[in-house]
Amino acid sequence: MAHVSIDNLRKSYDGRSDVLAGLNLDIRDGEFCVLVGPSGCGKSTLLRMLCGLEEISGGQLSIGGQVVNHLPPAERGIAMVFQSYALYPHMNVYKNMAFGLKVAGSSKSEIDERIRHAAAILKIDHLLQRLPRELSGGQRQRVAIGRAIVRKPRLFLFDEPLSNLDAALRVQTRLEIAKLHRQLAATIVYVTHDQVEAMTLGDKIVVMHEGRIQQAGSPLELYQQPQNLFVAGFIGSPKMNFMKGVVTRVDGSGVQVEIGGGLRLLADVDAGGTQVGDAVTLGLRAEQIREDAGVGEGQVLQGVVNLVEHLGEANFLYLTLQGGQDIVVRGDGNRSVEIGQPLTLSADSHAFHVFDADGLALRRRTPGNLQSARRQAA
Amino acid sequence: MKKIRAWQLAILLAPALIIYALFSALPLADTLRLGFYTANDAGVRSFVGLDNYRTILFDPDWSAAFWNAMWNNVKFFCIHMALQNPIGLLLATLFSLKGLRGARTYRTLIFLPTLLSVVIIGFIWQLILSPLWGVGEKLMGLVGLADWFGPWLGQESTALLTLSLISVWQYVGIPMMLIYAALLAVPEEVLEAAHAEGASAMRIFWQIKLPLIYPTLGLVTILTFVANFNAFDLIYSVKGALAGPNYASDLLGTYFYRTFFGYQAQIGSPTMGAAVATLMFLVILGGVGAYFVLVQRRLTRYAL
Amino acid sequence: MTVSATARAPAAPTLVQRSFGQAGHLWVHAVLCLYAVIALFPIALILINSLKTRNAIFEGPMALPTAETLTFSGFQKVLSGTHFLLYFGNSLVVTVGALVLIVLFGAMAAWALSEYRFPGNRLINFFVAIGIMIPIRLGTVSILQLVVALDLINTRTALILVYTAQGLPLAVMILSEFMRQIPGELKDAARCDGVGEITIFFRVILPLLRPAIATVAVFTMIPAWNDLWFPLILAPGEDTRTVTLGVQQFIGQYATDWNSVLAALSMAVIPVLLLYMAFSRQLIRGLTSGAVK
Repeated sequence: MAHVSIDNLRKSYDGRSDVLAGLNLDIRDGEFCVLVGPSGCGKSTLLRMLCGLEEISGGQLSIGGQVVNHLPPAERGIAMVFQSYALYPHMNVYKNMAFGLKVAGSSKSEIDERIRHAAAILKIDHLLQRLPRELSGGQRQRVAIGRAIVRKPRLFLFDEPLSNLDAALRVQTRLEIAKLHRQLAATIVYVTHDQVEAMTLGDKIVVMHEGRIQQAGSPLELYQQPQNLFVAGFIGSPKMNFMKGVVTRVDGSGVQVEIGGGLRLLADVDAGGTQVGDAVTLGLRAEQIREDAGVGEGQVLQGVVNLVEHLGEANFLYLTLQGGQDIVVRGDGNRSVEIGQPLTLSADSHAFHVFDADGLALRRRTPGNLQSARRQAA
Repeated sequence: MKKIRAWQLAILLAPALIIYALFSALPLADTLRLGFYTANDAGVRSFVGLDNYRTILFDPDWSAAFWNAMWNNVKFFCIHMALQNPIGLLLATLFSLKGLRGARTYRTLIFLPTLLSVVIIGFIWQLILSPLWGVGEKLMGLVGLADWFGPWLGQESTALLTLSLISVWQYVGIPMMLIYAALLAVPEEVLEAAHAEGASAMRIFWQIKLPLIYPTLGLVTILTFVANFNAFDLIYSVKGALAGPNYASDLLGTYFYRTFFGYQAQIGSPTMGAAVATLMFLVILGGVGAYFVLVQRRLTRYAL
Repeated sequence: MTVSATARAPAAPTLVQRSFGQAGHLWVHAVLCLYAVIALFPIALILINSLKTRNAIFEGPMALPTAETLTFSGFQKVLSGTHFLLYFGNSLVVTVGALVLIVLFGAMAAWALSEYRFPGNRLINFFVAIGIMIPIRLGTVSILQLVVALDLINTRTALILVYTAQGLPLAVMILSEFMRQIPGELKDAARCDGVGEITIFFRVILPLLRPAIATVAVFTMIPAWNDLWFPLILAPGEDTRTVTLGVQQFIGQYATDWNSVLAALSMAVIPVLLLYMAFSRQLIRGLTSGAVK
């Protein structure tokens, strides 16, 4: 059993202000949990606390029902894959993978069997006698993973394992890690700053910012119902368009917001405590804006194109709206758009997000944009 | 685009090469050459081939002193290898422990003796160990070993050992710093990985840290070798050129000095001095060569 | 497997702490303190006793000087009996002079060797490299002859030249290593601007060498300052005597005058101590960065 229970976990250095403040998180057995956030958000610190490389300043950490606050790493049943792989430079691959088992006192035959098994899974059988410096980056990474696998841990910890690989290798390795997760049926905690990695790999994603958990949930939940401005802006590429405005009407059909330039847009959200006259932020994803009016409800936005990025299957159009707001729209790659060209766009009310003055989201009533979500995950 | 003209290269290289050649390389070569000559009383030099060497190595009047100095030098080196480098290793390892408070202060303080002149150090210890002053005896009394104290510097049996210990005491700083720098280069994550795999501090030291600093240990060894077989200042300032008592502390360096310049009854002889210098050169060359051939090849610098 | 201590160490606990608990940390400090005492005690002893009267030196060697036992007579004797300040000045001139030449000529040569490919590059590199291992003293016989022939006997110039020759090989190696790490873009940008190679060296490269100079200084100035051999052989005269030689001669002469002997030793030690305290950080940084070869 390897569910992880983080209970009001706190971390501070030298009694100064908290680096991590009262975190609460539950990770189910066999779950792939991704900790994601910008640099300095505390995700690596949390991972290291899970591993046992950092002291826990407050709160409780349990793995498999066992409180592990004061246990050294080797007694927690974990194995960590470091960002730089941290292979022992003077030992060949076989010895690298055998080291931890030797420390634990396993028999030679046991060690050999485990290594061969892991090497087969990772396809590094032919590399067992090589030294780390004779391996490519991708191969070293697999050895680092192999070193973790042979320990048969109940919890795997990955610290930004893909950040040192080039782009093509990153995508390939991402798939392999996902495959590995299913093969080993292991509980994994995975740290990354790349939200695409997080969305594609994670069963549960934990977005962190400034030492706090902003939101934890499935990829789709985070995409469709981000709980605050930070999560909304962090998840999804390109970044969600934000437009500041004032509430002009609240009724059964939703919340109407007036943004600059006299433009009033309706958002299909639960008003909650929001009243007319409140300052809010309207959020709209680039992929949910249509390049013309006349389809659907037809809430119309007019703007002028400043820049076009051609990606082949899509265009990213950067426009300035009539009210002065800058937005980005994901357009059809087959259409040709010129700089300076005026465009009429439309978006349906269920595509909008509304965030109150504190940055908290109002609940969207019809967040069903599965098609976009699937495209996003590609 | 790197077009440099020959005369520009010449300007860049000339000053360094000229000074180096003139005051270091050529004199050495010339000394080697001089060892094949002898000078009669009128100062006229004549070629005598290997005669000088035969004299030094085998002639009863000369060889005893030479081999004594050689053997002393070997002992000197062994004592340094046994004490100076392991202590340096220990101190460096302690300094490299993460989170050690005051590490910088310790480093600064412990390195101080290395900075001072060997001459000064030699005198200081001479005073401390002097039976006249009695400080040494008092200090040993503090640990209950007052009876063991003796005029070590003055006794044939203990002079060399004492001087070696003084030299060790002074120069620990060098292996300490070099090894410390090498330990710093070991990536922190590798040590953390080992710790995460359950390795104890001792195991991490012996199985991870130490193998990764073998090249530096080799460097320290060869530097110790060259320095020891060149040693002169300490013996000269404490014991004078005669390296007493009764040549018990004579090293190749002092032997060379005496042979070249003469001392008291012995007349100096540049040609014999040159021969001695050549022999010293061969010893050092032999050691360095052996190191490169036997050791360096096996030591691979692991890409960290 | 041992269980780590429950101490709430604010910083990440050291491996020793994790393995041995709080006690391990104490052991480390104990060993280091002990060795620090061993390292400093003799020097402290000398300094303390240089200020005491002769009787006090013998009767209470480990006691600090009190109002009664305090005396500066040793220092007075040294200062009046010898030209100590002159010796100090000589050492300074020789050491700094050698350093200047070593840095300048060494950088020029290092630049030529590391930056450009030309026939003989490897040979010259090798030629210079062996200078590191081979001790210069072995050539003394011929050096003395040369110095005499150049009429430089008993001059500081002779010492400067010899120490320069001694320090050049290591300096060239350290500086070449350092120069190789200077980003190629800097040099290429200058070349694109049409700047000549020699100008590039003096305007672009030389100013960037400051960190490496600390390393070079440590490895060349300390041996030069502390050297006894060459001052003894090449410049033993009164006018050109260095501190090291001066102290050695003085002590040889006044061996029984403990006051003066201790004062002379102190005077030799104190300037080095002061400089060390002022520059220890740079010095140690210079040592540890240059040593990682």
